[in-house]
Amino acid sequence: MTRASGDPDGPSRRGAGGHPVSRLLLVLALIPTALIALPIVYVLLRSWGAGWEGILAELGRRRTLMLLGNTVTLCLSVTFASCLIGFAAAWCTERSDLAGRRIWRVLCCLPLAMPAFVASFAWKSLGPTFQGMPGAILILTMESFPLIFLPVAAALRSMDPGMEEVSRSLGKGPWRTFLRVTLPRTIPALGGGALLVAAHMLSEFGALALLRVQTFTTAIFQQYELQFDNASAAVLSALLMLLCLPVAFGEMWLRRGVRFSKVGRNTARRIAPARLGRAAPFVTLGFIAVAILALGVPFGRLLYWLLKGVSAGRGLEAIGPALYGSLSLALPGTLVTTVIALPLVLLVLRSRGMFARFADRLPYIVHGLPGLVVALALVYLSIRLLPSVYQTRVVLFAAYAILFLPLAQSAIRASAELVPREIEEVARTLGRSPFRAFVSVTLPSLAPGLGAALALVALELMRELTATLILAPTGVVTLATEVWSHTNDSAYAAAAPFAALLVLISGIPVYIFTLRTLKVAPDRALSQATP
Amino acid sequence: MYDVSRRQLMRAGLGFAGVSLIGGGANPARAEDQTLALYNGQHRPPVEALVAAFTAATGIAVVTRNGNSAQLASQLIEEGANSPADVFWSEESPSLAAIDEKGLLAPLEAETLKQIPATYAARTGTWIGAGARCRVVVYNKAMIELSALPKSVLDFAGEAWDGKVAFAPNSGAFQQQVVAVSLMKGRDAALAWLKGLRKYGEVYNSDSAAVEAVEGGDIAVALSNNYYWYALAKELGPDNMNSALYHMGNQDPGTLITVSGAGVLKSSKKSEAAQRFVAFMVSEAGQQAIVDAIAEYPLRPGVVSPFPMKPFDELDPAPVTPADLGDAADALALLREADLA
Repeated sequence: MTRASGDPDGPSRRGAGGHPVSRLLLVLALIPTALIALPIVYVLLRSWGAGWEGILAELGRRRTLMLLGNTVTLCLSVTFASCLIGFAAAWCTERSDLAGRRIWRVLCCLPLAMPAFVASFAWKSLGPTFQGMPGAILILTMESFPLIFLPVAAALRSMDPGMEEVSRSLGKGPWRTFLRVTLPRTIPALGGGALLVAAHMLSEFGALALLRVQTFTTAIFQQYELQFDNASAAVLSALLMLLCLPVAFGEMWLRRGVRFSKVGRNTARRIAPARLGRAAPFVTLGFIAVAILALGVPFGRLLYWLLKGVSAGRGLEAIGPALYGSLSLALPGTLVTTVIALPLVLLVLRSRGMFARFADRLPYIVHGLPGLVVALALVYLSIRLLPSVYQTRVVLFAAYAILFLPLAQSAIRASAELVPREIEEVARTLGRSPFRAFVSVTLPSLAPGLGAALALVALELMRELTATLILAPTGVVTLATEVWSHTNDSAYAAAAPFAALLVLISGIPVYIFTLRTLKVAPDRALSQATP
Repeated sequence: MYDVSRRQLMRAGLGFAGVSLIGGGANPARAEDQTLALYNGQHRPPVEALVAAFTAATGIAVVTRNGNSAQLASQLIEEGANSPADVFWSEESPSLAAIDEKGLLAPLEAETLKQIPATYAARTGTWIGAGARCRVVVYNKAMIELSALPKSVLDFAGEAWDGKVAFAPNSGAFQQQVVAVSLMKGRDAALAWLKGLRKYGEVYNSDSAAVEAVEGGDIAVALSNNYYWYALAKELGPDNMNSALYHMGNQDPGTLITVSGAGVLKSSKKSEAAQRFVAFMVSEAGQQAIVDAIAEYPLRPGVVSPFPMKPFDELDPAPVTPADLGDAADALALLREADLA
């Protein structure tokens, strides 16, 4: 049974089912909200330091307009192209009779393991053609489309096929069924993924610097590199946050009144796959092309540097500490971020009030900020207010949570939207405490979403660079920081083992959590369904 | 059965997070009292070499925080009097000048300052050069003849060089070059030069990216520091290089001496050990360790670099000292006026 619940303007502390939202949940949701507010306050304070005249002068510059144009172009193009490729790939691997679906599924997730700055270096070294805006759009799309693929594939997979079957049995063609039934029900997953890609593009730095595309982020970095009074960089950061507003509210508009849930678990029976027929070879060619662009070129280049280059083997003694550093920062950081995101998602699903909607959108506004700005905000605040935690993991984990909450939110929400509130209410009427009802009923249903959240956040944290450089305890290095400093010294062969290990390590969560998210096992069911 | 195992998984995960949070809270740099905290914006090979030699000589351990000089300077300014840093080693002198202007640096010992020519230290005596490098022109040998290269770096800002010159306005060294042009030829000439470069030149993110582009045949010429070419030559093999260095000489700002350098933070609680570190940096052993690891010129007389660089006294550089170049605020104003920043 599927249900669309409207009424986005219900009373704030009441769920649609009439139960008041628990105070505990509200308090827990305040933690991420307060964290996220920190960089916003910092940016506004610093912008204020530039004075009205300074702010207006900055906004009126020809260069600011140029940066705005580049930022918007990049953001829209990459998001649009990623949606197209990600959705098409998800549909083909989940709903068609494409050969080798299981392999394509894995290959479509693997680009996540390749940090954008590594991929960009690989492409750049093929020639100047790939520098500039068109190259950046191509390379970043290849890096970003899995962020659409993963949630859409999960949504297609967990969707109750009943509606589609009914539609087909009523004589509606496959296209009408797709447009009227399937597509609308993947919109929350698609929208969430698109938001993440858009926000990534607003904050992307390393790849754009290598590909010589100037956006707000590279300009903010340049400001920090050029001068030591950051007011002008803060004004640009504030502009960047403004750019994130339509992204955040676009998602609200997208999900307005759309809430689908299926009652009962494991109802996601298999639907007979669509036949590709004559299109099959072309679809396969498309998948091969994407695999070469997204994986073949970067991996080939990495291999080249591993085998060639005089600096090979330099600094290898740091590989142990760097691996330990990466894991000891990324794993707990991931858990912290995911745990903090959970109450935020639940609050939004249970309360349609102002605070919930505000708290839900806030992380997306900050997600477009470069790690540098968030890190400097935490330096500024922690050294003044809590000097004892400065340069400890506590501050770093806070930065990670601020930067990557939307990633966790979006992944958890994809699962949460399919869990009807009613089943938890049933559990409570049967005498379970709210907490036990949550743990025994809701949490297991959220497992796929939590798994995806852990995977995506862990991947981002593995490759995170600027916040780690600024906030990590002195002496702690990670694989990403080692890659960065060796490439900075033109020692590509020295960087290659660290980059390879980074990709390898990132591949593990991609693989495990992809399988977990998509529960790939029942392919047999698919083949049985095919005559 | 499945549900139970999943719940256990969840509990185990939360437990791990808790343990990691508590266990990870300790700060190794603070636990060990004798250990110096070095904020390092300079390239790592020379710094790692010096730290190893210093620790071997004195028994004092050094924990390094690596980053970009300007970012670390921003961070030091944010940290203010609470900074855990003892020594700041910057790739460029303007970052040192900037934190000196904020009153964050302590005076160096007179004995340390005496070790190298006063030209390569702050006039206030708060920071001192560790190694010198010079601005050069890197050119692709297949794309351009050595004889076709101009006599002055100012000539690159003309139409004849349209699409042929790579430069990195972000780089601290380029900013120093802008200040040098402004000091020697006047502000208007510097602005006209920058506007010409914006119109006809190609912006790169860093000197090293520009040098790699020349080596790769993407562009004919790059304005750069000398050592990026040597780093690339070490990586690719000197005999395989498609590019070469061109020193303008003639006291032109195209050949400009700049320094990497270090200072002791006023807020350091281990200032004695920190002063020892900087003193070691300009000692004979320290200077040798640095120039063995990077193609910079030693500042201490008598120390010899193993890199085949053009001899220091034959460079005939611009008559501007690192201390003249200040904190790059003037360069930023010019870059902004030229719409390059």
